[in-house]
Amino acid sequence: MKKLVNRLLAYFSKPEHTILVVLLVVLIYLTIVPLFYIGVDTLTVHSAEVRRIRGSSVGDFTTYHWEYVFNSAASDNLFYKPLINTLLVAIATCAFALIVGGFFAWMVTRTNLRFKKSISTMMLFPYIMPSWTLAMAWLNFFKNKSIGGVPGIFTALTGIETADWFAYGFVPIVLVLGMHYAPFAFILIGGILRNMDANLEEAAVILKTSRLRIILKITVPIVMPAILSTFLLVFSSAMSAFAVPSFLGGPVRYQVLTTQLYRTINGVNPGAGYIIASFMIVVGVAILTINQIIIGKRKGFTTVTGKSGNISLVNLRKLRTPVSAIMMVILVAVAIIPLLTFAAQSFFVEPGNYSFSNLSTIFWTGEGSPDIANGEPGILKNKYVYQGLFNSFSLSLVVALIAGTIGILIGYSVAKTRGKFGSNMVDRLAFFPYLIPSMAFGAIYLSMFSVQRGFIPPLYGTFAILALVGSVKYLPFASRAGINAILQLGKEIEEAAIILGVRWWKRMVKIIIPIQKPTVISGYLLPFISSMRELALYILLVTPATSILTTMLFKYNEKGWNQYANAIVLLIIGIVLIFNFIINKVTGASLDKGIGG
Amino acid sequence: MPEIILKNLTKTFGSVNAVDNLDLTIEDRDFVTLLGPSGCGKTTTLRMISGLETPTVGEISIGGRVVFSSEKQINLSPDKRDVGLLFQNYALWPHMTVLQNIAFGLENMKWSKEEIRKRVKEMGDLVKISDLLDRYPSELSGGQQQRVAIARTLAPNPKVLLMDEPLSNLDAKLRMEMRAELKRLHREIESTVVYVTHDQLEAMTLATKVCLLEEGVLQQFAPPLVIYDQPANVFVGDFIGNPSMNFFDAKVDRVEGEMIVLRTSELRLEMLLMKKDYEVKSGDEVIIGLRPEDIELKPYIGENTCTIYSTLPSGMETVVRAKIKNTMFSIVVFGRVDFVVDSVMEISFPSSNYLLFNKETKEKIGAGSLKLT
Repeated sequence: MKKLVNRLLAYFSKPEHTILVVLLVVLIYLTIVPLFYIGVDTLTVHSAEVRRIRGSSVGDFTTYHWEYVFNSAASDNLFYKPLINTLLVAIATCAFALIVGGFFAWMVTRTNLRFKKSISTMMLFPYIMPSWTLAMAWLNFFKNKSIGGVPGIFTALTGIETADWFAYGFVPIVLVLGMHYAPFAFILIGGILRNMDANLEEAAVILKTSRLRIILKITVPIVMPAILSTFLLVFSSAMSAFAVPSFLGGPVRYQVLTTQLYRTINGVNPGAGYIIASFMIVVGVAILTINQIIIGKRKGFTTVTGKSGNISLVNLRKLRTPVSAIMMVILVAVAIIPLLTFAAQSFFVEPGNYSFSNLSTIFWTGEGSPDIANGEPGILKNKYVYQGLFNSFSLSLVVALIAGTIGILIGYSVAKTRGKFGSNMVDRLAFFPYLIPSMAFGAIYLSMFSVQRGFIPPLYGTFAILALVGSVKYLPFASRAGINAILQLGKEIEEAAIILGVRWWKRMVKIIIPIQKPTVISGYLLPFISSMRELALYILLVTPATSILTTMLFKYNEKGWNQYANAIVLLIIGIVLIFNFIINKVTGASLDKGIGG
Repeated sequence: MPEIILKNLTKTFGSVNAVDNLDLTIEDRDFVTLLGPSGCGKTTTLRMISGLETPTVGEISIGGRVVFSSEKQINLSPDKRDVGLLFQNYALWPHMTVLQNIAFGLENMKWSKEEIRKRVKEMGDLVKISDLLDRYPSELSGGQQQRVAIARTLAPNPKVLLMDEPLSNLDAKLRMEMRAELKRLHREIESTVVYVTHDQLEAMTLATKVCLLEEGVLQQFAPPLVIYDQPANVFVGDFIGNPSMNFFDAKVDRVEGEMIVLRTSELRLEMLLMKKDYEVKSGDEVIIGLRPEDIELKPYIGENTCTIYSTLPSGMETVVRAKIKNTMFSIVVFGRVDFVVDSVMEISFPSSNYLLFNKETKEKIGAGSLKLT
């Protein structure tokens, strides 16, 4: 007994062990336990469901939800059709993103394209901007009269009425999501192409191989793991996308799993929603597990990096200038023009009337008049907007502080005890939230914390639940940064201080953190920006008192108050871009260099 | 037949001349090494011959056929030049087996399956990898990968073989072994080889002729022993040889026929010039160059003595640093010998191949015997 106590004391005398054990307990509670509760919730009668399930009362055990979702007259519309839509959207998005991103990556790394630098920079724009910005821009351009609204810019300029299939639903969802994730394919494939030993291709040139055969037989097989990995990541991101299908699919009732999840949980059948959420979690975890396996196997493909700077570029000859110009135009259309439309839209009083006399700053600085949007004042005079801005800011700040700090602690304890069981567990648990689709993650927290759990009071409707869900969801960014920071440092640096008898706290604050400042800062800033532009994660958990900018945007958009929505989009993009720019300047990190998703 | 001629070859990257006005004639079945410190333009030269790099100005012809000419607007692509290129990192395709790697080039040339099979076997036997044909490159050791790369390069039977530091990724022992095999291979396949290396020992031991470059400019193009004994300038003398040549700045005091009296800061020497490229006159600033093995140490005390400063015995030879007054000499003594540090020994200069360079132009003036006076 005494021996055991001594061993425990010896174990916990090292700070990394204490931190590790605490983290292990907390992380299990925040990532694994909720999965159990959401499982229970799929078998429980909720208050909204008492009337649909005859003779039941709240809290009763029931299999009603499972039957309803998978095997009832409503299953087709509730689950199977949205599932098929989701799969189609995800696959088409992957294809689009891979083709566009891969093409741009190949052009930039392997040909004598012009404006390479601008193209590479602009290519990242659609990814840095929240995905719904492009969706909003699409609506600004192509919306039509068929759903009672006013026509978009395209119709106003050309007089051509856009068809429903082009304005809403599958096509625009795929184009917008595909364009949003194309940069992701661009970064991953471009990275491999850039690091891939150019000699591999040159060896084929010398052996009299045709250009096409080189691409098919050498280049593609070697970048295949990256392509596969991109495919899976884009697939899981597209599957969990909410804002884009909601904005673009809503008008024609094009439903996907996330929109159904939102409807059911917010509506009359939360139990069904929890089942959809569980389903998405299983798929998400499965996909990203496959991805990890592929990445693990990629070792077989690592090639000695050679003098890639020497690579002979494909001469585009006559096509050089036109192709470069076309690519630039596409990127400008996707990266810059949307911003202009937001600005433009927010200044036109009467939507759809694009004449100068119609310009006004009413939606920015107006006091609000009863005939426009129920007297909602302009967003710069609107106390709800300021409330939302304040909420967004303070939420993101709190999330960044919690995630960033825990990230460093995880980094420290995992790196110091590397290879041990506890270390691997904490590492995996901290990464786990990354595998779960945002909205499903919101759903499990809703399920877990809407009632009292032990000493934790019901958190629904509080700021705390938003901060909690955000912190845990973005922990993967922070913990990766933390682990990298400590691993890069090497243990000698800290051991030198231990020899001198410096205490743990001082070692962290005076030695480790200052040396790895850029990585540590990015561990704080990435969660901040991500939270700033997040919608799907928070949408199930906000109440009017805790609403944030993105959820306000969503509400304005639902009500059709276009100018307000556009003005808020500009506000959010402005904040995101400014902070991304700051991070980039300060640390060299950027949203696009995060672990993706 | 495959003779490679480079004329006024220049390659400019930005404002830097990577290769500057290079004229070189590589004769049929030569084994030429391009030697120089890193960044001297040797790899660029090789890549220009292969066609992977386009020269800024100049002309290249291989086997009597002009493959590049800036004047005549000719630029044949690599596949039409009939060259083989062996890369420094082997560049084996990781997703193909050894067999597929070797056969790939032959497939491009539309060889029949039967011919390919035969050729692959032949190559496998030649470089001794016949039992590895079904493996992937990642399952091979460095030396084996090297052999596969050689087989892949040789399979289409190129007239010209270009090699870019092919041995630099191997460990020392394997490198020795492969050097011997490459030299043997060169005899067997009877093609012209251009070989890039920064390792002077490799360049000297393999080549029939060494081409020494510095900052894109040709320094000397000659057989190894000529380069060693008659370096064209101070750079060549210094670059070739390990430990490197001793250099002393000196001033010509007097010239009496072939006899030159030289004065360094501390010493006075008489040099009898036997070969002379340029004339010298009194007052000229010169540099004296002495190979370390051309200086002799003897145990008895005669008129010229030195003090042993340090010794590095390695068994086969001992590298000694010794001082006359404050002038430090590095000396190589062959055999299993060692010396007592701080002891005094007789120093003498028995060779007749000490070198004299012009201090301003760095060019060689001549060679001859040397005597301390």
